[in-house]
Amino acid sequence: MKKKSLSQLIEELRNNPNVVYWHEIEPQEAKTVPMPDSVDHRLRKALEQRGIAALYTHQYSAYEALQEGRNIVAVTPTASGKTLCYNLPVLQAIAKNASHRALYLFPTKALAQDQKIELNEIIEEMGIPINSYTYDGDTAPSIRQKVRKAGHIVITNPDMLHSAILPHHTKWVSLFENLKYVVIDELHTYRGVFGSHVANVIRRLKRICRFYGSNPQFICTSATIANPKELAEHLTGEPMTLIDNNGAPRGRKHFVFYNPPIVNKPLNIRKSAAVEVNHLAKEFLKNHIQTIVFARSRVRVEVILSHIQELVKDELGPKTIRGYRGGYLPKQRREIEKGLRNGDIIGVVSTNALELGVDIGQLQVCIMTGYPGTVASTWQQAGRAGRRHGDSLIIMVASSAPMDQYIVQHPEYFFNRSPESARINPDNLIILVDHLKCAAYELPFRKGEKFGHIEVDEIMEFLAEERVLHYSGGKWHWMNDSFPAHNISLRSASQENVVIIDISHTANHKVIGEMDRFSAMTLLHEEAIYLHEGVQYQVEKLDWEEKKAYVREVDVEYFTDANLAVQLKVLEEDKTVERKFVRLHYGDVTVNALPTIFKKIKLSTFENIGSGPIHLPEEELHTSAAWIEFSEEIFPLGTQTMEQVLIGISHVLSHLVPIFVMCDRGDVHVVPQIKATHSGLPTIFLYDRYPGGIGLSEEVFKRYDEIIKEVKNVVESCPCEKGCPSCIGVTEETIDPIKQTILAFLDKLE
Amino acid sequence: MSIQKKLSRLKGYMSIPSKSDDRKQSVSQQSDEKVSIPYLEHWESFGAKPFFFDGQYCFVREVSYPLHYKHGHYQLGEFYDVHRQWKHSRFEHPLSSKHHEVSDLFFFDTETTGLGSGAGNTIFLLGHARVLDDRVVVRQHFLPNPGAEVALYQSFLSEVDYTTLVTYNGKAFDWPVLKTRHTFIRDVVPKLPAFGHYDLYHASRRIWKHKLESVRLVNVEKEILGIERHEDIPGFLAPMLYFDFLSTQNPEGIFGVLKHNEIDVLSLIVLYIHLSKQILSANEMKNATEQFEMARWFDSLGEISVARETYERVAESNVQEAAKAKWNLSLIYKKEKRYEEAIAIWQELLQDQSDLLKIKAATELAKVYEHHFKQVEEAYTYALHSYDIWKSLVRAFKQKDEKKEQELLRRLHRLERKLKR
Repeated sequence: MKKKSLSQLIEELRNNPNVVYWHEIEPQEAKTVPMPDSVDHRLRKALEQRGIAALYTHQYSAYEALQEGRNIVAVTPTASGKTLCYNLPVLQAIAKNASHRALYLFPTKALAQDQKIELNEIIEEMGIPINSYTYDGDTAPSIRQKVRKAGHIVITNPDMLHSAILPHHTKWVSLFENLKYVVIDELHTYRGVFGSHVANVIRRLKRICRFYGSNPQFICTSATIANPKELAEHLTGEPMTLIDNNGAPRGRKHFVFYNPPIVNKPLNIRKSAAVEVNHLAKEFLKNHIQTIVFARSRVRVEVILSHIQELVKDELGPKTIRGYRGGYLPKQRREIEKGLRNGDIIGVVSTNALELGVDIGQLQVCIMTGYPGTVASTWQQAGRAGRRHGDSLIIMVASSAPMDQYIVQHPEYFFNRSPESARINPDNLIILVDHLKCAAYELPFRKGEKFGHIEVDEIMEFLAEERVLHYSGGKWHWMNDSFPAHNISLRSASQENVVIIDISHTANHKVIGEMDRFSAMTLLHEEAIYLHEGVQYQVEKLDWEEKKAYVREVDVEYFTDANLAVQLKVLEEDKTVERKFVRLHYGDVTVNALPTIFKKIKLSTFENIGSGPIHLPEEELHTSAAWIEFSEEIFPLGTQTMEQVLIGISHVLSHLVPIFVMCDRGDVHVVPQIKATHSGLPTIFLYDRYPGGIGLSEEVFKRYDEIIKEVKNVVESCPCEKGCPSCIGVTEETIDPIKQTILAFLDKLE
Repeated sequence: MSIQKKLSRLKGYMSIPSKSDDRKQSVSQQSDEKVSIPYLEHWESFGAKPFFFDGQYCFVREVSYPLHYKHGHYQLGEFYDVHRQWKHSRFEHPLSSKHHEVSDLFFFDTETTGLGSGAGNTIFLLGHARVLDDRVVVRQHFLPNPGAEVALYQSFLSEVDYTTLVTYNGKAFDWPVLKTRHTFIRDVVPKLPAFGHYDLYHASRRIWKHKLESVRLVNVEKEILGIERHEDIPGFLAPMLYFDFLSTQNPEGIFGVLKHNEIDVLSLIVLYIHLSKQILSANEMKNATEQFEMARWFDSLGEISVARETYERVAESNVQEAAKAKWNLSLIYKKEKRYEEAIAIWQELLQDQSDLLKIKAATELAKVYEHHFKQVEEAYTYALHSYDIWKSLVRAFKQKDEKKEQELLRRLHRLERKLKR
């Protein structure tokens, strides 16, 4: 059989009835600038040997801005040569003065490894003794000493900086005295709780640098987000220059929205996205066209992978199609990345693990199983397909989820819209206090000293009262026998986590994960089915006192779903906005949650096949919230109808809000109340899942009008008759015509 | 909402250790004032004097002991005896004070606010002892508040004119922590001098790790040195007592910690005496197990003649280690080309209880007959013997070491080939 070319397949796809939108991105020629004269001749030569004789415009701008002493954030699509934006100025600085030092921060260890290899190749060709080392948990103790004393470029991650480098800064004197550049790659990943933590780690870093007399410049690189400059400034506390004049060439891109056919009209249920993806991928792989398939969960990856391997087993060997996700060993990952670069591997099925800057070369086709959740993430995944010359194809296959359906039916929303903003809140009091403790451990605080822009005397006094610090000689000193950084994880939601222990093998109990206390109530109660890297475990015992969940591997046909009874108390209203029929508030709330029962739900049919009680104490969460209070004058509705209206709107909100504030679905909870405790009025609460809040609900408060408009848009444009899972959800005893009632109701909310 | 209100509401989410008690920090504020020293008369009656520097102060306490003072099994003055013996010793050893004078040695121990060498771990007490012509002087430098480190290190560093530290685990702990603290104030206090360093912890571990459950200093004191501590404050309580002192400034509790540290540095002297005696007369040691460890130490240092003599003494004993000593001895003989004596030991070891030793001995015999005496048949018999024992071991334990197996088989096959020629 003669193989079809990509352009033939693209033409065939144009006639596919399920393609609902076709978008073309025009090719762009390279825009280059000659290598600046100031670049050291050895560096220039090394780059020439690698085929780099000129710079793309953005690389040039980055270099020039840094020479002028500014901090930069470079926004660079995949494969536009972003690493040169920092490697060039860094190597130049060290070539000029061997005492200069640079610190590279990557969000993951794997990315750090990649960079070290690339960097060392250039250094070798330069022929100057520049030492670049990775410093992470895998670094052998024998060479740590050398890294500390003699590493020109130290490549690490924020977690290591937080728990191993800063608390031991006295062993890193030569780094901190001579720190010229701090490189923060993949800036866009530093958002939410993680970003808020990292911003504080950077405040600590700058404080230590000041102590040793250095004042480093920051170089950030980011994927496309709406607010790179703002995020970089917020994260580093420094003014930033935005570099976005991308000069890298690219070929033509076809971006296609694919909506699977409806199989159940009244319920508006469509054919499974995964099945469609399998068939689409098969066509490309059969014709030896390098393809990447993205799936949203680790389990999905494995399922799709096994199907595709089965479908093309006659044409291709199993080794040419691989999976890629967290949980694979680093060695295995390196092998897959290499196979993709040199073409030995034709297809890869991945989670968003491959969204990050891991170098896998450029593929021809990218297929997404469902909308990745954010505009930014979608563009990141799409960036995996696209060569510098020639066509590439991106297909987004929508699932039945409301967000997906909204996107494919409003392509202009996706293509015209700037990507999401990444939010951080470094001043979240809990996060801030945690890092102030670490900072005080590292160096005593002078009275009146600021942390970032924050006055901290009051917090210092609080910590002294708690006998963590001791005030003496005009300074607050750490006076405790603990090591604060050990108890503070940059990535977990709250500090006191439940540890998950696998007891499947009697002789070999091991910790496989942890989960915050609040989530553990509904996901790790006894008899819950807990999924970890695609493996099912049943929780045998949950020791709530000790915060340990003992799980055993099982193979069952169902999953569990727990009910949580939630009570909300308003503690303080900070802001209020009046609309005609609604009042919008932002402030602090207490959430009391009590898990009640769990249901066992069959995987294939979603039937309820059993249930049981959950015996756990009530949990309390103090956080910030936005709430929408409905005045009784909108129009009279019976209690039952009102309840369904609120539930319906909440259903849409819980799907839409993450799009607007760029977070995961679990990060903001939406709770409707027919009679709010504090006012007796019908109210919908949206609260931050993280204690103290990280600014998500505040963003909801600010963008209320925009969000409510989209809620209406979603419900209106949904083709279902009486409400469906893609819009307002379905309840057992729907009162007709609830969808129309909701629409009328929504009309009055703007 | 006010920060204070928020802080107390969110307190539960912050990992803040619970308070030990609720006594308020009442007195500490006054350290901002010029110099008024709380409880000064208590300190003075405890033998401590304030040392002033740059508007700060620390306490310096000095205690003297006569040379005939008996601490555990030894008098402190015996240090002079062992030093004399070191001077006359015929071998080199890491603990040897041959090349030092008595007063060069600086017995040193610290008390800190925490574990590890992170930047937030503060040394609040530096204690050291030195043996003089007529007495032993213990000096302690105490940090009365964390803002007085400059005074503390100024007082400490202005009197360290010694060349060699003697510590217990000081290489891994005390010294790195001291270096960390010094980094903070390196611009205003004298440089840290370069020191030689005897870490008695390593020596103790080497010799007593099998014998003692733990080689912590208190345990060594009790089990080996005959030192009984009365009303001692356990070391792990020291940070708590110090935090308590900081908030109340009442020194009663912290005096116990100073006393504890004082005994620590005295014990270092006695431990040094004891270890030196053991090393210097290794071939007369009563405990053959410790003697074996001592011999191995010499062996690893390349002091072969002392090692040989010591192994010979262990080999004569009837402890478990006798066979191992014989084995190590045979390797020394082999190196010295004293084949007859080596062979005698190997033959003897073939009767030993340990199969592993039997295999090793038979292998050595095969090697020596093959390469040195060129008697292939003899060699083959031993190689086969060695392999047979190996096989039965593997069967018994159902585990095998592929590399070892290959090595044995390679020899066997080579000898077979040689036999066929």
